[in-house]
Amino acid sequence: MLTTSKEGSIDDFTATIAELVKRENHHIDGFSIEVSIPPVIVANERAVWMYMKKKYNCEDWFKDKIPSQHISVKDALRLSINTSLENHLGVKSGVDLFRIRLNYSHLDASRMLQSSLANNHTCKRQKTDKKDNRDSLDDSHKSNLKNSNEHLCSESDSVILRTLESMLDHAFCEHFVIPPEKALKPCLLTTTCYRMPIYIGGRYLKFSRRVSQSCWIIDDERMGEASVEEIVGSNALLVCKGDNYKFHAAGREDIDVRMLGSGRPFLVEVSNAHCMPSMIDVQLIAEKINNSDKKYVRVRNLKLVNNQAWTLMREGEAEKQKQYAALVWTSRALTEEDLHSISSRKDLDIIQRTPIRVLHRRSPLERKKIIHWMNIERIAGSCQYFLLHLCTQAGTYIKEFVHGDLGRTHPSIGSILGCRAEILQLDVTDVKMDFFD
Amino acid sequence: MEEGQEDETLERASLETAEKKEEGEEELRSLLLPDMKDVPPTPPSAVESNFVRYFAADFMKPGHDQFVYRHANGLCVIGLAPTHVALREKGGVTAVDYNVGKSDRSEMKVTGKRKRNAQHFESNSALCKVCANDTFYIGRCCVKGSLLEVNDRLIKQPDLLNSSADREGYIAIIMPKPADWLKIKDSLLSHEDYRKLRSL
Repeated sequence: MLTTSKEGSIDDFTATIAELVKRENHHIDGFSIEVSIPPVIVANERAVWMYMKKKYNCEDWFKDKIPSQHISVKDALRLSINTSLENHLGVKSGVDLFRIRLNYSHLDASRMLQSSLANNHTCKRQKTDKKDNRDSLDDSHKSNLKNSNEHLCSESDSVILRTLESMLDHAFCEHFVIPPEKALKPCLLTTTCYRMPIYIGGRYLKFSRRVSQSCWIIDDERMGEASVEEIVGSNALLVCKGDNYKFHAAGREDIDVRMLGSGRPFLVEVSNAHCMPSMIDVQLIAEKINNSDKKYVRVRNLKLVNNQAWTLMREGEAEKQKQYAALVWTSRALTEEDLHSISSRKDLDIIQRTPIRVLHRRSPLERKKIIHWMNIERIAGSCQYFLLHLCTQAGTYIKEFVHGDLGRTHPSIGSILGCRAEILQLDVTDVKMDFFD
Repeated sequence: MEEGQEDETLERASLETAEKKEEGEEELRSLLLPDMKDVPPTPPSAVESNFVRYFAADFMKPGHDQFVYRHANGLCVIGLAPTHVALREKGGVTAVDYNVGKSDRSEMKVTGKRKRNAQHFESNSALCKVCANDTFYIGRCCVKGSLLEVNDRLIKQPDLLNSSADREGYIAIIMPKPADWLKIKDSLLSHEDYRKLRSL
C-alpha cells in the first residue's frame, strides 16, 4: 500500500484527487471518502496482531488492548488526507452523496491468497466445523470488518473476507506467516469520483393518447410520438448534468389512456449528477416540462427526495385504488334502471382471465379484482353513449371489464346490463396514494 | 401574527385550496366530456378494433366455416363462423364437448409466461365436438400452433354458440409460430372475401 510520511506528499496526493474532481466538472458542497483495499491487507493486519499478541501478551500495557480499539488502515488513510483534501476542494467532508473512491488492488497477492484459502478450505473444513461450537470467534475482528465499507468489495474479495473472518485464531496462525512477509510490490491505486444516485419525485399528468409512459422502441422504430419517461427524464438529466436516468412510476397506463386528475406518482433516478439540484433547479425542471410547446405531459409537486422514496412508492402498490372515466357505448339505450343497477353495486367481485391482448407475454391466470364503485353519467344528446366513472382495485383491466374480453372477464359492464358494451376512450382520473400529493 | 389573524389566514388558505380543487375538477370535467361530433354513431367492436378477422370456408368438409381472429400480438382466437352448418341446425347447438377421443382438450393447463407446456397442434387437429340436432360437428384448429386456452364456458353454456358464436362463443386461443402463420395466412379468406363468398 502506498503510504506517505512527508507532509508534502499528502498534499500532492490530495492535489491530484482535487484535480480529478475539477476535471470531471463536478459541483460539490461536500464529499465522502470511500476506501477499498484488497483482502490481503486484512490478512496482514491480523497476522501482525497475532504476532504482537504472541510476543507481548504477558505485558501489562498490552493485556487490555483489543483490536477494535486500533484504527484500521482505511480510517488511518482517511484521517491523514481529510484536512488536506478539504483545503484543496474548498468543502467539508462528511456524509455526502458525492463519493471519492480510492480503490486499491493487488492482483498477485489476491490471487495467491485466494488459492491458498481454497486449499485450506478443502482439507481443513471438517476440523473447523467441529471446533466452531467450542471456541469463540475473535468478535472484535468481526466488528472491525463491518466498519470498513464491506459492501464496496467485489464478489471474490467478499468471499475471501468471509473465509478469513470465520477462521479461528489458531487456524489462522497455522495457515499464515506470522509476522507477515514484507510486501515487495505496492498496491495499484485507482481513484474515481461520482455522485450517488439522486431522486426527483412528483406526479405526472399525460394529456396525449399517442404518448406512452415508458420509452417504446421496437426494432429501431418508435411506437407512439414520445414517452413520459423521456420527457421527464431528459429534462431532469439536463439540469442535474447527470450521466443517466431511470424512470419509476407507481403503476402505468396504456399509450391511448390519458392520465388526468392529480396525476401519477413517479421518481426519476439520476445517476452521477454533476450538479446537485437546488429547489430552484427542481422548479426549473418542472417549468421546462410544463412549458414545452407539445403539452403532452405536465408534472406537479416536483421535489428532491431521498433513496427511501422508491421503497415507499412500491409499498402496498397492490392495495392502491385507481379511479377512471370511460366513454362507453352500449348496443341498446340505457334506462334509469340500468343506471341504478350499475351504481348500486359496491365492491363488486370480478374475475379476469389474462386479457388476450397481453396473453402473449403474461401468465394465463385468473385474477380476482374488486370494482369499488361505479357511476354512469349521461351524455347530452345520446342514449347509447355515456361516461362510466369507476373506482377499482389496483391491477384491474378496465377495458376488458367494459367489453368483457369475449367473456373472459366476468362480470363485465355488458354482462351486467345484458347487452354488448364497447369502450372508446379511457382516462385515469385519480391514483389514490399519499405520495407527492 | 395575532391569533385572530392567524385563523383568518388559515381560513383563506383553506378556501383557496378548496377553490383550486374546484377549478381542477372543472378542468377535469371539461377534459372528460367528448366532443360528440368526433364520435361515430356506432363504434367498431373490440373484436373489429383489435383483431384482423380471417375465415376458413368449408374447412375439411363443406359448410364447416370457421373464423380465425388474429391479434397484433400473434395470438389467434378460433371459432365457428356464422355460416357454419352446425349453427343452422334445428334447435341450434345443444352441447359442446372438448373430449375428442385422443384427449380432453379442456383438461390442459398452460402455465407461465413462456407457455412451454402448451400442446402443439396441426391445423386439422380436432378441438371439440359440437352437438346440434343430434349431429356431431368437429371444431378444428385451422392454424398450426400451441393451444393456450379452450373456452370451457361452452361446456356449461353451449347456448353461447347460438347467441354469439362470433364472440363469447369462441372455441379456443392458439399461438402459432410466426413462420407457421405466414404459411397458412394466404389460404385464409379476409372478412370481405368471406362475406362475398357467402353472399352476406
